[in-house]
Amino acid sequence: MVDELSFSYEVGNLMYASHGEPITNCLQCGTCSGTCPAVEFMDHTPRQIIGMIRADFKEEVMASNTYWTCASCYYCSVRCPAEIDIADMMYALKRYSMWKGQFQEGLIGPDFSEAFVKMIVNSGRSFEPLLAAAYLPKFSARDIVQEGLTATGLVLSGKMPLLPKKIKGLKKFQQMVRRIIPIGETS
Amino acid sequence: MSERIGVYICHCGTNIAGIVNVADVSKWAGERLADKGVVISRDYKFMCSSLGQELIQKDIKEQKLTRVVVAACSPHLHERTFRNACKGAGLNPYLCELVSIREQDSWVHTDKVAATAKAKAIVSGGVARVIHHEALEPLRVPIHPATLVVGGGIAGIQAALEIADAGFRVYLVEREPSIGGHMAQFDKTFPTLDCSACILTPKMVDVGNHPNITLLTWSEVQKVDGYVGNFAVTIKKKPRYIKTEDCTGCGICWEKCPKKVIDNVFEAGMGNRKAVYVPFPQAVPKYPVIDDVNCTYYLKGTCKACEKFCPTNAIDFNQKAEEITVEVGNIILATGYDLFDARRIPQYGYGKLANVYTNLEFERLCNAAGPTGGNIVLRDGKTTPKTVGIVHCVGSRDKNYNAYCSAICCMQSLKFAHLVRERTGAEVYNFYIDIRTPSKGYEEFYQRLLEEGTRFVRGKVAEVTNVARVPEEEGKLIIQVEDTLIGKQRRIPVDMVVLSSGMQARHDSKEVAKLFGISCSADAWYIERHPKLDPVATMTEGVYIAGCAQGPKDIPASVVQGAAAAARILGKIQQKEIALEPVRATINQDQCSGCRICNNLCPFNAILFHEDKMVSEVNPALCQGCGTCVAACPAGAISGTGFSNEQILSQIDGLLLLNISNAAVPIEQ
Amino acid sequence: MKQYAYYPGCSLESLGKSYHVSTLAVASALGVELKEIEDWNCCGATAYFPVDELLAYTLTARNLAKAEKTGLDFVAPCSACYKNAYFTNSYIQKDPDLADHINYALEADNLHIAGTSKVRHLIEVFINDVGFDEIKNKVTNPLKGLRIAPYYGCQILRPRKDHEDVENPQYFEGLLSTLGAEPIDYASKARCCGGSLIITNRKAALDMVRILLQDAINHNADVIATTCPMCDVNLEVYQAQVNREFGTQYAIPVMYFTQLMGLAFGILPGHLGIAKRQVSGASMLALAQNTK
Repeated sequence: MVDELSFSYEVGNLMYASHGEPITNCLQCGTCSGTCPAVEFMDHTPRQIIGMIRADFKEEVMASNTYWTCASCYYCSVRCPAEIDIADMMYALKRYSMWKGQFQEGLIGPDFSEAFVKMIVNSGRSFEPLLAAAYLPKFSARDIVQEGLTATGLVLSGKMPLLPKKIKGLKKFQQMVRRIIPIGETS
Repeated sequence: MSERIGVYICHCGTNIAGIVNVADVSKWAGERLADKGVVISRDYKFMCSSLGQELIQKDIKEQKLTRVVVAACSPHLHERTFRNACKGAGLNPYLCELVSIREQDSWVHTDKVAATAKAKAIVSGGVARVIHHEALEPLRVPIHPATLVVGGGIAGIQAALEIADAGFRVYLVEREPSIGGHMAQFDKTFPTLDCSACILTPKMVDVGNHPNITLLTWSEVQKVDGYVGNFAVTIKKKPRYIKTEDCTGCGICWEKCPKKVIDNVFEAGMGNRKAVYVPFPQAVPKYPVIDDVNCTYYLKGTCKACEKFCPTNAIDFNQKAEEITVEVGNIILATGYDLFDARRIPQYGYGKLANVYTNLEFERLCNAAGPTGGNIVLRDGKTTPKTVGIVHCVGSRDKNYNAYCSAICCMQSLKFAHLVRERTGAEVYNFYIDIRTPSKGYEEFYQRLLEEGTRFVRGKVAEVTNVARVPEEEGKLIIQVEDTLIGKQRRIPVDMVVLSSGMQARHDSKEVAKLFGISCSADAWYIERHPKLDPVATMTEGVYIAGCAQGPKDIPASVVQGAAAAARILGKIQQKEIALEPVRATINQDQCSGCRICNNLCPFNAILFHEDKMVSEVNPALCQGCGTCVAACPAGAISGTGFSNEQILSQIDGLLLLNISNAAVPIEQ
Repeated sequence: MKQYAYYPGCSLESLGKSYHVSTLAVASALGVELKEIEDWNCCGATAYFPVDELLAYTLTARNLAKAEKTGLDFVAPCSACYKNAYFTNSYIQKDPDLADHINYALEADNLHIAGTSKVRHLIEVFINDVGFDEIKNKVTNPLKGLRIAPYYGCQILRPRKDHEDVENPQYFEGLLSTLGAEPIDYASKARCCGGSLIITNRKAALDMVRILLQDAINHNADVIATTCPMCDVNLEVYQAQVNREFGTQYAIPVMYFTQLMGLAFGILPGHLGIAKRQVSGASMLALAQNTK
């Protein structure tokens, strides 16, 4: 038995439900990265990330923006000749990153997810304007203005609700959530 | 009168002795099993050594042993050794029983006390069983000297020539109009770049001219009856509609034939043939066939141009199929492979994007006798490509399609790269995951390609598309791939894409296997008897496999397997008879009720039913002793020699240490 | 009257309102009853998986459990909700441990999931359960001459591998042909629109949207048809931003497939939420008029 768990083992553990093959089966063929529509915006290709995980380069992987740039379109998973669920692995890395609070500076994804989760726990539904508070601070001034313009257009065309909704059975819903992870009010 | 049993416990060095206390087991057997008939019990370091065997032989003679039990490794390894030792000392070899205390005991347990107790039980089981063994004689069947070879590719041709050259008759059956197989379609062969037809056709001509080879092309095997040494094979000769005794192969018929058909077999869909045709000019035999699906006469009742022009009156539109039955002693299946259908990978664009080719299509393109006269041009028939992309691993090494590696595609892709460079001067890209060049001259061939300036990109191609994003990509095929050695996704515009499609088992391999009584693996290749030590034999005596039918391989390996199968068969023919294991099922005809349940259960078709006596009988030569019928018979009328109910039940009693006094009491050391 | 447990999803109440409106209109015309699941919650889309896997599945399981109670098939018009529901359901069927965990949580809300519902996407309910023939019968205003780019997007197709054509599906084209339109064949139909990257990595998403728009335009599409509110928003609402970022001048209308179906059925554009489209609502209405 090894004393220290390998990083690929840790990542594998965070993929509970997924039915793909273990990431240690990777041939490093590059099909995933050749297919990925967002790869131009990643500092490492998906294949490189798998290579780095297997080499136990944990810090470098967590510091990469790759897994937060994944759009989860699952094209890689479907084409992978080793049948590894790469998109799910990216989610696992996101989870690891949120758990440890470790991620590249300036990324919007972590704050967005956190805000989204909190919002659902508090109301049971999503409400876009609340989320804006999470990501707008990271936008440039020009982008904030763009976003404002877009939002105004949406409100005017009746597509943006001005008030958040709540589900009726919210209390029980929150109890349900707390049986999984303890977030939200304790009452 | 009880038997006199000798028990021998092997140490196998520390393999067994390291976990099992062999001395204890030996002593225990000698004392506790004495009233079962054990008169002597020994343990020894290596029973399989000559000294070990001599121990047994000495005891047989001096102690007048009537039964022997050897507790050692698995019978798969040394059953024959010990049986021969007994035979050498005058004891019938089938009165020797091997029990495994290695694979089934010392190798799978770490608890020494428990393992030793288990070994005692195993030995006790062996002793209880061997008492009920009978002296058996191996079955001897004569070997008919003729051989059937199914498949006229390079493996089948090699096998046929070797057997025929040794002076024995061969029936070579081929379902296409000519022999030659896939090798006849290729242009050059790696790594020597020999012209494929130039090295193949002399062998084909030899086959055609050989007095000992009966060539049956445009024919298929319908039925196989019998067993090793005595097969009766029914072959259907499809009608050629040509009288071969009159035909001179002059070629006027196909010259005059007005009906053009796309040749999907030999030309891989790249070129045409006529309705009456030979597949290629060097066809053996030279006789054409009429394709009755496309021929105007069969479709509308008109034309008959071939008949009008044939100078020897050799056309016979009314020719019928003929069925013949031949007797052979052995069969070789060398039925070759099918190409993986690249249409199953839509992202590579084959079938949608015009200038995407498969490997076989590209071979035809390169071949001087092919549809473009050997000119590498695009589908428009005239443009020479300036850049060519060659994609490795299409449909291979991919769990979504075929998980195995097709063995030859890397070399084939390198060969293509060389031919493109040589003939067009175009820029060549090879997209690979690994470069697999294991055999003689192969790595050097790769070096040569590197020197020629081939651009190797390590990355499995993700997509081939014609959707341009920048002006340089307009009008081109774009290969999108990650160049893994530099870690960037690249879009490389090319004019032509060649897909190295993998090999697959023939689409009907499972049906053919059933016809001959052999099995296929999950990938549908025929299964060999042992993947390392016996790749050309099968589990069915008398049926051999050779060439790509057994799995992807290159031409030298196919030739080797063809020759190996031939050599095996020649050995059997020369011995004139073969000894078969007498472990067989026998039906007690007095108990058989004629229900026939066993008849259809037998996987080897070894049970005959006698209509007159209304009883079934097992053909001992076909029976492999699997035991299915024994278990299925509702009357319990079937028993296995060497595996009788009595033997098995006694062994179970022995394993449970029943009726052994003081079985668990430790032995005084 | 075919009945289904309808799960609109959060988007259909806000950004995807016109999808909701047109869905109900078309369903009604086809005799399909969509009974909205009682007090449903957000499925978490792609934003929950980065935080906790089990919680993400539990959120969807709550809605599936409610659907199970009705005994009806679970239908989602949004591809992300659909993908979440499909896999939650499939994992619960295959993995009893996971099912136990989730049921322990659902218990707090007096619910239980067994994995017995069938999860469907709205478009395939129309195609498989209603059928092309029945749909054709309802077409009073065939969309003749309208070149439509069917945009499947990613989560309706992947990561499912149990259906025939993951790489080159044709069913959307079939539906559009039934409406009398001319579906165009373009390679990017299954390429990702960027999804939530439009918020978390805007540059990446805009680039992905640009490639889709350019491909559709290169093939002379008059309109892009969508099956998911996220894709619709990215392609339509952010078209202006794409133009600003890349200096392009895209102005191609984007419509939900239900809106196109509604137009073909002769339903008034006002009842299909068409006037509320972002990209030149006027030109879209004109298009609707032209197809009469």
